[in-house]
Amino acid sequence: MHELSMADAMVKTVLDVAEKNDATEIIEVTIEVGKLTMLNPEQLKFLIDVLVENTLLEGADVNIVELPVELKCNLCEYAGLADMDDSDHYLAIVKCPECGERNVEITAGRECNVKNIKIEKEEGDEDA
Amino acid sequence: MHKIAEVEIQHDIMVANRKLADRNQKILDDAGVFSVDVLGAIGSGKTSLIEILIQKMDHKIGVIAGDVISKFDAGRFEKYNIPVVGLNTGKECHLDAHLVEHAFGDMPLELIDLLFIENVGNLICPVDFDLGSHVRMVVISVSEGDDTVEKHPLIFKEADLVVINKIDIAEAVGADQDKMVLDVKELNPNIKVIKSSLKTGQGLDEIINIIEGFINK
Repeated sequence: MHELSMADAMVKTVLDVAEKNDATEIIEVTIEVGKLTMLNPEQLKFLIDVLVENTLLEGADVNIVELPVELKCNLCEYAGLADMDDSDHYLAIVKCPECGERNVEITAGRECNVKNIKIEKEEGDEDA
Repeated sequence: MHKIAEVEIQHDIMVANRKLADRNQKILDDAGVFSVDVLGAIGSGKTSLIEILIQKMDHKIGVIAGDVISKFDAGRFEKYNIPVVGLNTGKECHLDAHLVEHAFGDMPLELIDLLFIENVGNLICPVDFDLGSHVRMVVISVSEGDDTVEKHPLIFKEADLVVINKIDIAEAVGADQDKMVLDVKELNPNIKVIKSSLKTGQGLDEIINIIEGFINK
């Protein structure tokens, strides 16, 4: 159930940045979540919706973008997308899709990134 | 007049945790303390193994006992008159680097040279959260079923040592212990996997030798 603490950290990050940028409204938030994180996007979205009540984030569009798994093969030097069946983490991290080697490193798919926000602010508020 | 602005944030919570973990490792290195994360399933024998290592290893050992309610495990370690810090996670299912940094405040690092950090019993959530330890030891047991490794690949991919415990009851619970070893090797070809029974003592010397090897590396 660590979606709750992750959602909480995300909401705090967004509110902090919005405040520093003198936002009067937050229109949209984009969050990137790697497919190998143990986070369920549906649960994450639900919890964010609960946590934003009575904050500047209430009513904003929250986009959760899932990022694919990438790996690097230590034998054939393949670097790129893993063979990923949505229901199976196992295959994706075990074998190089090119040569079948098992000695592979995971290079992407574990992100949990608050990417950007779209805000409304008073004209002329930005730092000179 | 209002205007719309896009603000790049690029704040990755995993990266932030990793930075804290790196800082924790520096604190440990400066104090001359080697640290082992102990992760694994509920009831697999994590606490029992650490209790045995406290008695058998020739080191000044400290333990950070993380759990949803940590007083039970912490109480078991305190019997050995070593420094113990209980770390309650409350509703949280894993430790993170920030919590561990707080625990360092109560742990007399100058009095120890080997620190075990016992994580919450869970094969899923702790995987993503480096704590700053030097190595990760994962403890599972045959009673969780011989498909445990396949079902939780990431934790084994990231481990440095895997202990498969309670092999004395493998037959009784119908678990294929060798399959479990092969499944770990499939995920992590170079890893050390030890079959153990804390009850009979099987595998303990190997576990100790491997940990000593990590320390002396």
